[in-house]
Amino acid sequence: MNDLLRFLKRYYHVFLFLLLEGLSIYFISCNSFRQGSYITSIANNISGGIDEAYSNVTSYFYLKSTNEALVQENVRLRKMVESSYVKIVNNVHKEEDTVYKQMYSFIDARVISKTVNKRNNFFMLNKGSISGIEPDMGVISPNGVVGVIVKTTPNFSLVMSVLHQDSKLNVRNERTKTTGTLVWNGKHYATGQIVDMPSSLAVKKGDKIVTSGFSRNFPEGITVGTIKKFTKDKGTGFYDIDIKFSTDYNKLEYVYVIKNYFKIEQDRLMQGIDTADTPKQDLVR
Amino acid sequence: MIKDIIYSTIQFILLVLLQVFILDNVALWGFINPMVYIWFIILLPYGTPKWLTLLSSFLLGICVDIFAGDIGVNAFACVFIAFLRPLLLNSFSGNIDNPTQRPSISTQGFMNFLLFTISMTLVHHLLCFCISTFAWAEIIQVLLRTLMSSVITILVILFLDMIFFRKAE
Repeated sequence: MNDLLRFLKRYYHVFLFLLLEGLSIYFISCNSFRQGSYITSIANNISGGIDEAYSNVTSYFYLKSTNEALVQENVRLRKMVESSYVKIVNNVHKEEDTVYKQMYSFIDARVISKTVNKRNNFFMLNKGSISGIEPDMGVISPNGVVGVIVKTTPNFSLVMSVLHQDSKLNVRNERTKTTGTLVWNGKHYATGQIVDMPSSLAVKKGDKIVTSGFSRNFPEGITVGTIKKFTKDKGTGFYDIDIKFSTDYNKLEYVYVIKNYFKIEQDRLMQGIDTADTPKQDLVR
Repeated sequence: MIKDIIYSTIQFILLVLLQVFILDNVALWGFINPMVYIWFIILLPYGTPKWLTLLSSFLLGICVDIFAGDIGVNAFACVFIAFLRPLLLNSFSGNIDNPTQRPSISTQGFMNFLLFTISMTLVHHLLCFCISTFAWAEIIQVLLRTLMSSVITILVILFLDMIFFRKAE
């Protein structure tokens, strides 16, 4: 008994070490944002309040560039208001005001904390489920795509940035209409990669890349970036493309969360097919 | 004793704030992420009991993690270097006459302190980046990231050390 006590006394720090490391590993394993965990939501609530206070101060520094981006966006939106509506013509005799039915609506939010220099980056927004934000909604900035909501608390929500290992977004070359998948190799936050874009139609440097609209959380035609560099992979018949993101993720300030009114209907349609063989089209799935 | 606790607590808070609000937003060449907050673990007094070193490091890691959104990663790495700390201190420190002394250039000598800091930083950064990436395919990138970030972290720590612990002449 005495020996045992002496043993414990001598090596208690090893046990404490193992215990704390075990706890850390448990926390890490809880970080799977798809299921949503209790621990992350507690953490969100703590850091959300402090981050918001801090960002209230720092947001003044970006006021000018934010304003410019918003003005540019207003101009662009005025030209294409129709694009966020879907046309339903099941009956040509219907009256004109029922031709269009709204498909997407937007919730504005402010980024209160962000990272861009990690392998897996997240943003936190100052609005949450009270404002109608739900997991899986797309997030865009005035300049382009930002990411997808992975987790919400009543007042805050967490966005998985496109700068994340698990981020996969279906995109399209605006000129050639060929589609591919946007991923991020973790090197630089201004550069993304497109894989699976067939090399049957030639791309050019400077081609604009937009969302394809195949993914259920983004409307069609949201800017992603422009092609910076490309090489043809001889073996597979696909391009390896580097793009320059149109959004500067390090300066992100105001964003819009996209609500898709038809998401439930579309999800129902995909049920059964989705589980067996998913076309890579959603950021999170 | 009380003075040491207050001193360490203030240091803890300041370093977490520095890390979370300034250094986590630094993106030199897009992938360098210096983690200067481990200066807290380096700077604990020589005579700190092992359990206190481990627990405070764990707390430190969790605090930084909460803001970064990836809970557990920094905590894991911090606890690991807190465990290694006594071993490294034994091999890199000169004669310790006073257990309330803290490792710094003036108490340990430049070379010893540098080696101590380098080994702590490299292990911590390597663990952090490995866990958060968790893919063999990107191992080269992880190593590069570790190396570059460590260099910046070590330089900042040495710089801070020189400012705050200049030898009284």
